[in-house]
Amino acid sequence: MILSVESVVKQYRRRFKPGFRLEASFAVEKPSIVGVMGPNGSGKTTLFELITGSNVPTSGRVMCMGQEVHGVKASQRDRLAIHYHQSYQVRRFARRRPDFLLEPAKSDYPMVHLFDEPQFNTQDGYIGFMLDFFRRLRGEGRVVFLCLHPTERYHLEILREVCERFVFVEQGRVSLFDGLDAACADPRVAAYLGGGSIA
Amino acid sequence: MALFEAKRLHKRFGAHVVLEDVSMRFEEGRLSGIMGPNGAGKTTCFNLLTGRHAPDRGSVTFEGRDITGLPPRKIARLGISRSFQIMNLFDDYSVLDNVSVASPDVRQRGFSMLGSFGEAKGAAEVLAQVGLSGKEGIRAKDLSYGDRRALEIGVALAARPRLLFLDEPTAGLGAEGTARIAALIAELKRSITIVLIEHDMKFLFGLADHIYVMHWGQVIAQGAPAELRANPWVQRSNLGALA
Repeated sequence: MILSVESVVKQYRRRFKPGFRLEASFAVEKPSIVGVMGPNGSGKTTLFELITGSNVPTSGRVMCMGQEVHGVKASQRDRLAIHYHQSYQVRRFARRRPDFLLEPAKSDYPMVHLFDEPQFNTQDGYIGFMLDFFRRLRGEGRVVFLCLHPTERYHLEILREVCERFVFVEQGRVSLFDGLDAACADPRVAAYLGGGSIA
Repeated sequence: MALFEAKRLHKRFGAHVVLEDVSMRFEEGRLSGIMGPNGAGKTTCFNLLTGRHAPDRGSVTFEGRDITGLPPRKIARLGISRSFQIMNLFDDYSVLDNVSVASPDVRQRGFSMLGSFGEAKGAAEVLAQVGLSGKEGIRAKDLSYGDRRALEIGVALAARPRLLFLDEPTAGLGAEGTARIAALIAELKRSITIVLIEHDMKFLFGLADHIYVMHWGQVIAQGAPAELRANPWVQRSNLGALA
């Protein structure tokens, strides 16, 4: 088991009233490339933050290679999972206890790589190098999440080419699908892609 | 054995990780290129390779000797020179002075606050190499932009390095200026090992023997230009059209 998100809930509050709520429960057992889709504001980035430990869940836990992410020293959490936000990497971590009370990471190089809307441009050729990089990470036994908000036809082409599984996030709910066709068979995903008029 | 080798370099500044697990080998007599989008970590990588910053983890070796964490002046003395993306010239001094001050024998002699540094051995040769013969007496600030770029390379060469790092030598140049620098580097490549950061892919693909592609502070791809060009997405891009 590489990653398991176990009954994770993040409940935001606004002026003492419940605000946005994200719920997630899924597992990725094998090395794979997982596509992540969903409308803006549906909770994709929050999900990534919960997996890397830069955000703390209200309840539930995230396990990576048998370690609870939030129980690992903040300074070493990026050795388990790493969040690439466009071109830079997010390394601010939330901690409930000081580092010396937490355990060291058991991995040296991140096992889970989360790419948050990388800038794909068909003109410059970097897409090819990035996709090869994702495949190399999977080949080394790691899990890659590729969050892409498909606005162009080639975005779907990329997702179909490299991703074997898909996570769809909508209004704080997370669903997992095997393959793009299975995802598209779900009416919510179809509506989301159809809304962008590219599918 | 590679002339210069970096193994598993890591570097972070506070919460920002700038390099993650970067390994590179530069073979003697070859031109290696580093390319990548803005913010990919190319210049930081150069700064680690040339001693401006010490890595948090990983090692750097030159001719088999461990030079990790040595200060830039010590690394320079071993025979490694670099140029900068943002030019570092003494604007009020002549072309000849700019080159002379970087040469080892003038540095040994020591500097005088008065007047010029005197002509260093080999300065004329360096200026001929970079195409600035006849412009020895012109102040650096009065040179054209293309000449200033050439002078930058001349200053780096004056130290008679075995390994030359060039950070975007064509930055800000038009087609004509770029072609001039390309011709200059193609000539230098015959006698010196070069590592080049470059944005202009056409330029890099035409000159390099081996290219490292950086993104997110990591090496995401590497290979000879022909190997990189074989990628189907590269074929579809503007880069694929460069043959």
